[in-house]
Amino acid sequence: MYPGSCFGRKGDNVTEEKSKYIIVGASAAGMAAAHTIRLHDRQGSVTVLSEEPDTPYFRPLIPFVVSGKKRAEDMVLSGCGPYTGRDIFVRTEARVESVNTAEKTVSVQGSGVLAYEKILFATGSRPYIPPEIKGTDTKGVFALRTLAHARNMAKRVKTSDHAVMLGGGLLNLKAAFALLERGLKVTLVVYSPEVLSQLMEPEDAFLIRKAMDTAGLKIKTGCAATHIISEHTGVTGVALDHGGEMSCRMVCIGKGVRPNVEFLNGTNVWIDGGIVTDRYTACSAPDAFAAGDVAVTFKPGSGDRIMTALWTNAVEMGRCAGRNMAGVKTAYSGTLGILNATQVAEEPFVSMGVVHTKDRDFEVYRHATDTTYRKVVFNPQGTRLMGAVFIGDITNAGLYRYVIRGKMPVMHIKRYIMDHTLHYGHVMTGKM
Amino acid sequence: MSQPKEIFVKTHRCVGCLSCTIACAVEHSKSKTLFGAISETPVPKSRVYVQWVEPDGKVPLVCRHCEDAPCMYACISGAISRDENGVVITDTDKCIGCWTCVMVCPYGVIGRHLEEHKAYRCDRCPDREIPACVSACPTGALVYDTVDSFSAKVRNHVSRELLRAERG
Amino acid sequence: MAYTDKILEKSIDPSVHKMLERAEKLNLETVWDRYEAMLPECGFGELGVCCRNCNMGPCRISPFDDQGPKKGVCGATADIIVARNLIRMIAGGAAAHSDHGRDLAHTLLLTAEGKGGGYEIKDEEKLKALAGEYSIETQGRTKEQIALDLARAVYGEFGKQEGFVQFTRRAPEKRVALWKSLGIDPRGIDREIVEIMHRTHIGVDNDPVNLILQGLKASIADGWGGSTIATELSDVLFGTPMPVRSQSNLGVLKQDHVNIIVHGHEPVLSEMIVAASNDPELVGLAEKLGAKGINVAGICCTGNEIIMRHGIPIVGNFLQQELAVITGAVEAMIVDVQCIMPSLGPLSECFHTKFISTSPKAKFPGAIHMEFSEEKAFDIARQIVQAAVENYSLRIPEKVLIPEDKTECMVGFSAEAIVKALGGTLDPLLNAIKSGDIKGIAGVVGCNNPKIKHDHGHVVLVRELIKNNVLVTTTGCNAIACAKSGLMLPEAADQAGDGLKGVCRTLGVPPVLHMGSCVDISRILTLCASVANALGVDISDLPVAGAAPEWMSEKAVSIGAYVVSSGIFTVLGTVPPVLGSKVVTELLTRGANEVVGATFAVEPDPVKGAGLMIAHMDKKRQALGI
Ligand SMILES: Cc1cc2nc3c(=O)[nH]c(=O)nc-3n(C[C@H](O)[C@H](O)[C@H](O)COP(=O)(O)OP(=O)(O)OC[C@H]3O[C@@H](n4cnc5c(N)ncnc54)[C@H](O)[C@@H]3O)c2cc1C
Ligand code: SF4
Ligand code: SF4
Ligand code: SF4
Repeated sequence: MYPGSCFGRKGDNVTEEKSKYIIVGASAAGMAAAHTIRLHDRQGSVTVLSEEPDTPYFRPLIPFVVSGKKRAEDMVLSGCGPYTGRDIFVRTEARVESVNTAEKTVSVQGSGVLAYEKILFATGSRPYIPPEIKGTDTKGVFALRTLAHARNMAKRVKTSDHAVMLGGGLLNLKAAFALLERGLKVTLVVYSPEVLSQLMEPEDAFLIRKAMDTAGLKIKTGCAATHIISEHTGVTGVALDHGGEMSCRMVCIGKGVRPNVEFLNGTNVWIDGGIVTDRYTACSAPDAFAAGDVAVTFKPGSGDRIMTALWTNAVEMGRCAGRNMAGVKTAYSGTLGILNATQVAEEPFVSMGVVHTKDRDFEVYRHATDTTYRKVVFNPQGTRLMGAVFIGDITNAGLYRYVIRGKMPVMHIKRYIMDHTLHYGHVMTGKM
Repeated sequence: MSQPKEIFVKTHRCVGCLSCTIACAVEHSKSKTLFGAISETPVPKSRVYVQWVEPDGKVPLVCRHCEDAPCMYACISGAISRDENGVVITDTDKCIGCWTCVMVCPYGVIGRHLEEHKAYRCDRCPDREIPACVSACPTGALVYDTVDSFSAKVRNHVSRELLRAERG
Repeated sequence: MAYTDKILEKSIDPSVHKMLERAEKLNLETVWDRYEAMLPECGFGELGVCCRNCNMGPCRISPFDDQGPKKGVCGATADIIVARNLIRMIAGGAAAHSDHGRDLAHTLLLTAEGKGGGYEIKDEEKLKALAGEYSIETQGRTKEQIALDLARAVYGEFGKQEGFVQFTRRAPEKRVALWKSLGIDPRGIDREIVEIMHRTHIGVDNDPVNLILQGLKASIADGWGGSTIATELSDVLFGTPMPVRSQSNLGVLKQDHVNIIVHGHEPVLSEMIVAASNDPELVGLAEKLGAKGINVAGICCTGNEIIMRHGIPIVGNFLQQELAVITGAVEAMIVDVQCIMPSLGPLSECFHTKFISTSPKAKFPGAIHMEFSEEKAFDIARQIVQAAVENYSLRIPEKVLIPEDKTECMVGFSAEAIVKALGGTLDPLLNAIKSGDIKGIAGVVGCNNPKIKHDHGHVVLVRELIKNNVLVTTTGCNAIACAKSGLMLPEAADQAGDGLKGVCRTLGVPPVLHMGSCVDISRILTLCASVANALGVDISDLPVAGAAPEWMSEKAVSIGAYVVSSGIFTVLGTVPPVLGSKVVTELLTRGANEVVGATFAVEPDPVKGAGLMIAHMDKKRQALGI
């Protein structure tokens, strides 16, 4: 634990009734904001409230708890990376039930009311459990989001031999691989024609699909679960829409996420899916800001509203909110809705910006070899880079992101982009 | 406290001999000798890259240890931090090889160690006074200096050039 | 006097320490400074993986598997590039030695025709013996007539297209048969060198093994061809060396004499300089200018040539050439070809020293060029010596500092001299080998290299060998290092093991035999061939080994190649630029044993290097059952 941070729990003698800064949510956005505030305001008290029992941790690492490769202690956020600020007061098991934006107070479940001068809503999101799927409320059905979930899943592994994963998104894939590593048979049931449909088009995914097959993952595309079959020990199988059934002792649902906004019910904070923010990460209530998965923000350039579910975005937005809260007015530069890098089985990939081009008017270049695939998407005029998918060879992905995000004219470097030979040397020698 | 030094690149001096890349890989090998390094597994990795820009540009690229290091904030496992000398360090133990840092570094100087499934980058040669790449460069294209001293030298040079031009 | 570590770690020679301190004081740059400025040296070059043989490149192959190019633009792999580069080095070295041989053939020809400006045939016995090898009629003919035929025959070896090079037939029959079966019996000296240049051109020979074989072929044409020619014809013209006493090291320079240094390689020049310096008129001139006389001394191989034949003292080896100038006491540094640092020009300008180049093949910045020609040899030599003598009055006394270090030595052990010392037959040597008094014979040769503490590699390795009863034959810069260290005195037998000590005492010879210049490694080959023939075995069966503890030149690469091709295991003290290729490295250090019966080993530590040689000799002795 990093010296200087201090952690409180429900029942501790917390005398503080007022904190200059209150941050609801102690994850990427919230902690980034807290540490950023500290850089600009050394005095003002910062209190971070989290409903989870665990001290802040790197959420994307939780699949490693399932696979057993890491322990929870290895994922602690405070003191790691840029999270080294001092005197940040984090309260776990402190669920905010409601907010009074006029009085500038929050009410914390079981421990009264806290006043603030500035508040950040960084409550993130939670898994979406589609109501069409019946019988999800039983033992052995998971939707991986928190460390607590991960621990439970890890326990369940011991009594399971087969896990069925509903949904082919990235989070479910990560969970699936964690279970594979534990020696389970894992079947992925995907409604879309291909996995990772959020991040790429079916024809882009062949290398990843190949890697998944090689890794031993079973995949059923184009089909959905209708209900979970269970008995007193929990789940025993899954019924599919085409009539079949699969027996299993574990189900993991990965059908996307929904923002945690319920605690703002009855306030005048403008909610449209998530909490709507302006260019300075402020939301519609006075001295209130929002960042992370819960916030509705905009794309750079176009200004279109989007919500993202990305750690990196949450940190960026959180840092921006932190500055604004500490009085350093800073515009948020917006974000790409898709901005993912990861490795699935042996295949690294990056997907960013506009990647779904089917039936849309874009200039698209694809290039495939046995081991690499790339797709670069330009605007219809072919003058700007809009998005890219790189599989296998992700070299210089950061530079492409810089070009996409900066909406840079690319005519003179287009050849390098198409050949995937663009590098920062082009920038340094004035080619860009 | 003395100002931390940084690696500056004088692009026009690079002849593209790749000596820096060899020196860097050797410095990051187990044996720390060239003849030993070439037979090690995993193969030692260079953290400096020399890129070519048509028609004759040769550009050494190395981690800038950015003041606002995007990789450090992007890292989803807290593996990247800044040490007391301002060097941005990737902690290999913590790294999970998700390549998020690769995706956000505009300079393209974070490498992927495939055998170990870890990201790697310039660590400014913690065991050396002068980084290996800098001492290997035969033409002085890489310079290890403080920002102040380096820019003073650049100013000095420019003003001498100006004077020379004025005097014909 | 205490020197800094920086100075002490550069050499084991106290005269070098003194002069390096002097250089520091006078702010003069030396080879060691330039070496330091060069560090780190280019890793691609060190590994031998850069290729400039065509203009699609230059290419270099990354030694690290997953980064950088793995093939040249043409598709050449590291193996191909390393092999090509290595044999181009051999071509360079073989060309240098052989061109030296060619110059002697030319001088012999002119002398036979009566056009040599002062040369004469001094060793008629050898002339006749060589003529015999070439089946030239000697009966009832003048030495000039014989020499003319011999010179023409030998001249012919260079441009020969077919057949074989005569002196290669000195090798044991088994060896020659092996060369023939491998296709590496050279047809003509120039031809094999040219063929290397052809084969290594883009898109010709791209098989590393085939390339290396051609390298061996050219190297044999050097060792048993060009170098042997250089040695033998020098003996004919200037006399075959016989034991003589002399002195070595910078201390041979004299405060009150005109000091003339001859540096380079070919005795054609240095012999005449020695002759001219004895010209009473010039000696008189020197005395008139206040000098007590003219002191000629040598550096590098030309120094070896004249110390062997005349007992002319030797100033030092390769790394001491600049230091000689820094004594401030050198009136003229007269050079011809090979191993002459271009830095001597600017350095000489800091003193009164005249840096005089003489060969149309070798001009230097800052040198006065006084072109030498064999036809007017003595006259030109006189002019050069005169220029040197006249320069004496320009000497700046405050700039003079001559270290007192000098060591006595006994040199001049040609193969003939050795046989003579043995009493006219090889038998005592063979018996000593059989009895184990002499464990084996080592040929320790080669340059200096600032990568290795000057003379440390040489002297430590040789000491270790004699301590273990290995008789050491030496040439080149190793010979000079040994002379300076006192190893070339009969008294040095005390440092030898009991067996060797006894043999040396009986014969009154040192345990380390100076056999001459680098081309005179041919004398060692001839000696080995004689021993092998006497025992009825191949050279590769003998308890012999070679070493080049401080080598640096392309000539040394060629030497290494022909020594190994001749069946002699060879230890190198610096790493040749081949490690970038596993195939070539493997071939040279292991595979070659199956092919030519000998390999290379690389061992920078001289004690360990000697250990490898001794182990090898033990193995061979065991196989011979002795
Ligand atoms: C398994 C997994 C893998 C992932 N991998 C990646 C990846 O590789 N790359 C990437 O960019 N993203 C990844 N993500 C997504 C990333 O973790 C989220 O986008 C990120 O955590 C969002 O951060 P946040 O701060 O907005 O909210 P969250 O991380 O969701 O945190 C919300 C916080 O708010 C608290 N909270 C919520 N409601 C209340 C309340 N009413 N009162 C008090 N506290 C409350 C919670 O306790 C929590 O501390 C992954 C997510 C998961 C689950
Ligand atoms: S020779 Fe080749 S490898 Fe060596 S320095 Fe020059 S370019 Fe670099
Ligand atoms: S690859 Fe490693 S260092 Fe880079 S973001 Fe991922 S975990 Fe962090
Ligand atoms: S400073 Fe060191 S680690 Fe960084 S690029 Fe140079 S040699 Fe490599």
